[in-house]
Amino acid sequence: MTDRKDDSNRGWSRRNVLKAGAASAVIAGTGPMIFTRNSWAQDAIGNFPVKGDTVMFGFNVPQTGAYADEGADELRAYKLAVKHLNNGGGMLETLKPSSLTGQGVLGKKVGYVSGDTQTSPDAARTSARRMIERDKVIMYGGGSSSSVAIAQQYLAQEMGVIFMCGLTHSNDTTGKDKRRYGFRHFFNAYMSGKALGPVLADAYGTDRRAFHLTADYTWGHTQYQSIKEFTEKEGWTTVNNIMTPLGTSDYSQFLTAVLNSDADVLVLNHYGKDMVNSLTQAVQFGMKDMQKNGKDFQIVVPLYSRLMAQGAGASNIDGVFGSTNWNWTLEDAGSQAFVKSFEDEYGFPPSQAAQTCYVQTLLYANACERAGTFYPPEVIKALEDFRFTGAGPGEAYYRGADHQCFKDILVVQGKGPDQKQGEYDLLNIVQHVKRDDVIYPVDTFSGELGPYKPA
Amino acid sequence: MSAMSKTSGGGRELLVIGVFAAIVLLLPFWLPLLGGYEALATKIVIWALFALGFDILLGFTGFLSFGHAAFFGTAAYTTGLMLKHVSADIIPALAVSVSLTLVLAIVLGFLTLRRSGIYFSILTLAFGEMLYAAVLSIFQGWTGGDNGLTMSTKPTLLGLPMQGLNVFYVCAVLLIGGFALARQIKRSPFGLMLMSIKENPMRLEYTGVNVMAYKMMAFTISGLYAAVAGSLMVVYEPYVATEFMHWTTSGEIVIMSVIGGVNTLLGPMIGAAFMLFFENVVQAFIGEQWKLILGAIFVLVVIFLPGGFIDLARRVRKAMGHMVPSRRDNVPDAPGSMREDRQKGRRADAQLGGR
Repeated sequence: MTDRKDDSNRGWSRRNVLKAGAASAVIAGTGPMIFTRNSWAQDAIGNFPVKGDTVMFGFNVPQTGAYADEGADELRAYKLAVKHLNNGGGMLETLKPSSLTGQGVLGKKVGYVSGDTQTSPDAARTSARRMIERDKVIMYGGGSSSSVAIAQQYLAQEMGVIFMCGLTHSNDTTGKDKRRYGFRHFFNAYMSGKALGPVLADAYGTDRRAFHLTADYTWGHTQYQSIKEFTEKEGWTTVNNIMTPLGTSDYSQFLTAVLNSDADVLVLNHYGKDMVNSLTQAVQFGMKDMQKNGKDFQIVVPLYSRLMAQGAGASNIDGVFGSTNWNWTLEDAGSQAFVKSFEDEYGFPPSQAAQTCYVQTLLYANACERAGTFYPPEVIKALEDFRFTGAGPGEAYYRGADHQCFKDILVVQGKGPDQKQGEYDLLNIVQHVKRDDVIYPVDTFSGELGPYKPA
Repeated sequence: MSAMSKTSGGGRELLVIGVFAAIVLLLPFWLPLLGGYEALATKIVIWALFALGFDILLGFTGFLSFGHAAFFGTAAYTTGLMLKHVSADIIPALAVSVSLTLVLAIVLGFLTLRRSGIYFSILTLAFGEMLYAAVLSIFQGWTGGDNGLTMSTKPTLLGLPMQGLNVFYVCAVLLIGGFALARQIKRSPFGLMLMSIKENPMRLEYTGVNVMAYKMMAFTISGLYAAVAGSLMVVYEPYVATEFMHWTTSGEIVIMSVIGGVNTLLGPMIGAAFMLFFENVVQAFIGEQWKLILGAIFVLVVIFLPGGFIDLARRVRKAMGHMVPSRRDNVPDAPGSMREDRQKGRRADAQLGGR
């Protein structure tokens, strides 16, 4: 009885072992052919050539986590950009020189896929690979954090698919971690420092003593370095700097240290929720109505955004200086065209993150048209050293040597509750800082772009 | 007679491994049919290996580690640094990273295994977070801090470029090997010892067994699986993200194991595949609310399917009128109403020869 059972058992397994063996043999045999798959066409890079009559763009934005608000606004701008590329409108009418037709790109309709970066480099890369491998995107972009942007730039270089950075302000993105396949339209901490230094000296004098609170990660570090460098150039003294952990909710211990020092200016190198918390608490400490060294105590937030200003509230940001890439109240034709179409579509004005993502998408499409191909090395060459107007104030210049875009940036001051005219009118533009005043030599930062063709 | 049944057992083992190997090796071909893609297949295989090792500790031995990211991350950083500064070949990188993690596992095991239950979990969590803090502060010059460890290296295996399906097959072979090994451990007297530790470590101690040594072995083996997985993560993508070291990675592996079904080997791997598939494919359909839905799924699984996804098969068979063995893991969730169920299961166990 048991013998028979064993026999039948054995028969089963033997047959199956053979089957499994045959299956593995087939796999082992086909394996090597798959290994050499990429070697067939010399000029296929990434997802070039584009097949079919639709070209896909990938929009990888934070849909969950601390920067979800910004991600949502970026995605709105991307959808608008795709709409304009396919049907005309928006900045298509103001961008110069432009080869965009408003009927797709290179005769192909533009489609898109979106993904969630979760503001995590690893999740962003996995999501990007889905877009590249499954959805065959020819270009991808987005994001609201420098570490995420840098991680994706390296992936772009590896895969041969161009990455158009969204909001990333760290010097490293186009500094020590610059990549041939990554482009940044947004400004950086160095430019913020260069723009803010003279304005601050003008407003508050040249003998100020500054205390910094800095978000303890790479962006915070680079911004602290840059602001320190440019304020000290104006004669300021840096009293101290405290690195605060990212995502701190209670800043009282750090602010106490500020109060106990002889500093008369507080510089908050914070972004997003961190800035909202630290600024609000500094105001609660009475720092805005205080006297130190016989002067009025001042607070500076070097990187400003409208979304942050909204979070902190008008009474807290009243009179606080900072810098921003772009603001919806700008009067030039390009900004106006974009703001108008964005408001028509969504009912409220766009943020600076939305503007940079929108412009990046148009610039990429325009470069394809001008190159006459989607072939990445040619598109990269078309973007490098490209000069254009009509996407914001003044002429902008995409420097080829580090893929940083140089353009006019804004020094702004928060508007108090009595000054603002509406929910979104939060920032007062103090000065248009001209492109030539924020440009810096390419060898300010180390780093290599890498080759045009991924090996 | 006993020799014969042994052969039969070996045959069955080969069958299981064979079927498993076929499913894994063909993953890049059937996953796209479900909306997946090649890179996801590779990532699933790597995390499955991680989950497999975790099950040896949690499932077999009953120790819930909340610091496995320490092994995963240490191996990832070591591999990254080796690839970047020493050689683009993955063999020396893997060798060094696995050896280093081995040392780390022995040290951490020595320090944490003296406690059990929640104290063990907290200790492992604390050590994991210490390493994470170290990566972002004192080792910042090496690890690249918050930006992660970036490099332009293209890893190779004896000259073969580690890209696309090549990486997948290297990972898949290691997973199949890891699976076979884990099954061997489960069937061996050593595995039995581990399971006895889970049942009652004190009684085992009284019978003269060196429980600490067995716990150390389980912890180290589990750490080594995590090390291989962490290294492969960097081979698959030459970039080390700081979160490989973060407690969220430790938490994720716990969730994967629990929703898949602990102590089943297959369960945690299914859990890992499910999580990654959901996070990267289903997410695109749902949009912003995907984490909410994922959370709801966890809650439903834990309430209605405490044995994890793998338990679904057993329940379906039972519903179809088959006699099936009861669940053997130590989940203290069985109310009185399940007594009958258990007795039926015990009878079935007896009939199936107590396997």
